[in-house]
Amino acid sequence: MTLVLPTAAPRRKANFTAYELTVFGVVAALFLLALIGPMIAPADIYTSNMLETLFPPSAEHWLGTDDQGRDIFWRLVAGSRLSLFATVLVVILYSIIGMIVATLATVGPRWVDELLMRITDIGLSLPGLVVSLGIATVLGPSLQSGIIALALTGWPMTARILRTTMRRTMEQPFVEGARILGVSRTRLMLKHVLPNSLDVLIVKWAGDISFTMLILAGLSFIGVGAQPPSPEWGAMISGARGYMSIAWWAVAAPGAAIVINAVAFALLADILQVRRDPSLQA
Amino acid sequence: MGVDTILTDGIVPAQLRQRPEALLQVDQLSIDIATRDANVRLVDNVSFGIGRGERVALVGESGSGKSVTAQALMRLNSRVKLSGRVQFDGKDLLSLSNSQMAAMRGQRMGMVFQDPMSSLDPLMTIGDQVAETLRIRGVSKREARQRALDVLDELKVERAAERLDSFPHEFSGGMRQRVVLAMALVGEPDLLIADEPTTALDVRVQERVLDLLDEISRRRSLAVLLITHDLGIVAGFADRVMVMYSGRIVEENEATLLFAEPQHPYTRGLLEAVPRADITVDRLRSIAGAPPAPGARPSGCTFHPRCDHAMAMCSSVEPGETITPLGARVRCHLYGAG
Repeated sequence: MTLVLPTAAPRRKANFTAYELTVFGVVAALFLLALIGPMIAPADIYTSNMLETLFPPSAEHWLGTDDQGRDIFWRLVAGSRLSLFATVLVVILYSIIGMIVATLATVGPRWVDELLMRITDIGLSLPGLVVSLGIATVLGPSLQSGIIALALTGWPMTARILRTTMRRTMEQPFVEGARILGVSRTRLMLKHVLPNSLDVLIVKWAGDISFTMLILAGLSFIGVGAQPPSPEWGAMISGARGYMSIAWWAVAAPGAAIVINAVAFALLADILQVRRDPSLQA
Repeated sequence: MGVDTILTDGIVPAQLRQRPEALLQVDQLSIDIATRDANVRLVDNVSFGIGRGERVALVGESGSGKSVTAQALMRLNSRVKLSGRVQFDGKDLLSLSNSQMAAMRGQRMGMVFQDPMSSLDPLMTIGDQVAETLRIRGVSKREARQRALDVLDELKVERAAERLDSFPHEFSGGMRQRVVLAMALVGEPDLLIADEPTTALDVRVQERVLDLLDEISRRRSLAVLLITHDLGIVAGFADRVMVMYSGRIVEENEATLLFAEPQHPYTRGLLEAVPRADITVDRLRSIAGAPPAPGARPSGCTFHPRCDHAMAMCSSVEPGETITPLGARVRCHLYGAG
C-alpha cells in the first residue's frame, strides 16, 4: 500500500502570551548579562578610588559609588555572573544528588529505599539555612563553601519528589515492556524512567533558582559566603550595611538586583507550572 | 483432582497427543498465587500446543485466566507460582535462568499488550524504540535502525523512513499499535503472544491490524497466540481456538469446527451471545450468572451453576478431557466416557 499523506506530521505549536514572552525575555536577558557582565565591566571596579566614595546616583555613576569609591552599577553587572551562576550551579549540584538518591531508592532493594528515604526525611526536617551556615563555617567562609553547603542541604526535596514520580513511571507499561525484553537496569533508568519523571522538576527548578539566590546572598550577607571585595550581591549588601544610613543606594541597588532576579525566576516557575497543567490558569 | 481425574477417564492425556511440529508445548500448567491467608489457583492444569506458524486463539471472559496464562508463558509475573511444564522449541522455559528467559523474550518470543498508548515511551523516537530490542543485544546502531525501518515498512507504516524520528504522540492509535507490533517483531521471533492487541482500537482499525498480523504470520510462518474476549475477531484469524473458563480450558477445536459445532455448553452460550450477520434472532442470549472468583470455584464442573444441561454428577465430579467425534477436546460430562 502506498498511501501518501498530504501534510507532514503535525508539530505542536506553542502560542505564548505577551506576558509570558516578557518574562522569558527578562530571564534570557539576566542570563546574557551574567554571561558577558564581567567582560564589559571596567577594570576599576575592584580598585579603591578614595576621591569618589559614597557618591549618590548620578549621570556618571548610575547607581552611585560605595565606600571604596567603586561604581555600584558596574559592580552589579560584574557580580551577576557570580550570583546567578553560583545559584544555578547549586541547583544543578543538588539536583544531581537528588537524582542519584532517587534512582538508587527506585532500583535498589527495599532496605536501600527505606534507608535513603529516612535520610531524606532527616534532611527535610533540618532547617536548611542553619545547617548550610554550619557547613560553610566549617569549610571556611568563601563562595565555594556557600555553594557546597547549599548543594549538600538542598537535595532532599528533589530526591523525595523524584523518587515518588519514578516509582509511578516504573509501573508504566512501556517501562515494564522494556524491562521484560531484557533492557538492563541502568539503561532502563537512564533512558526510560528518569527522562519520563523529570518534568515534575522543571517547575521546581525555576522556583529553586529564585529561592537559592536569596539563600546564597543571605550566606554572603551573614559573612560565610563570598567575601569582600567580591562583587557578589549578598557580599555587596553585607559590606554596605555599615553606612546604610548615609548611603542607602549602596544597599538598595544590590538588594533590588537580587529581587529582580528572584521575581523573574519565580514568575518563570509560575508560567511553567500553568503550561504543564492548564487547569491552573485563572 | 488433576492428573488422576484425567487418567481415570480413559482419555488420551494431552501430553501424549503432542503435535510433531509443536513449537510451544504446555503440559499441565498450573498457576497459583499466594494471598495473605490462602493459596489461590488461577489456572488449573492447562495443556495445549502451538505448532510453527499456527494461529491459536485463547478466548475467555475477564478473570478466566487467559492473560495470566499468557504472562506465564513469558514468565512475566514473578508473584505467581508456576507448576507443570512449558517447552518452547525443546527448551524447558520454567527452568531457564532469568537472563536466559530475557534473551528468549524479544528474540524467540514477542509480546504485544493491550494499550498501544502506554506501551510506548513518550520521550523516545519511534525508531529508537523499535530498534531498542536489537540494540540491547549488541546490534550496531545503523543496522538496528535499518531493521526497524524494514519492519515498519512491512507493517505498512507510510513514509516509515521519515517517521523513524517521530514521537509517539504524533501517531494515531492504529499507527501506534503497529509500532508496538514492530517492537515485538523486529527481533524476528517464532512466536508472538498478543494479549487483547486490538481491544483499545475501533473496529475498522482492529480489522486492519489483524489483517496485517495475518499477512506477516503467513509470510514469516510466525506462530501467534491471540488472547481475546472478542469472538468476532477470532473467526477470521485463528486456525484453532481454545475456550477458557475459570482457569481451565473447557473446549478446544479447529476454528471452523468450533464455530460451526460448539460442544461445551459454555462455548455455545458464548457464541449465542455474539451478534451474527447470517442469523436473525429477536434477542441475543446471555449466560445467566457470573464466572466464579478463582478462590471460590464450585465443586465438580466449575460451570455447573450456570449450565442449562447440568446433571446430578456435574456438581460433584470434575469432568475430564474427552475428544468428541468432531475432534473437539472438551471437558464436559455430556461427552463423558460413558
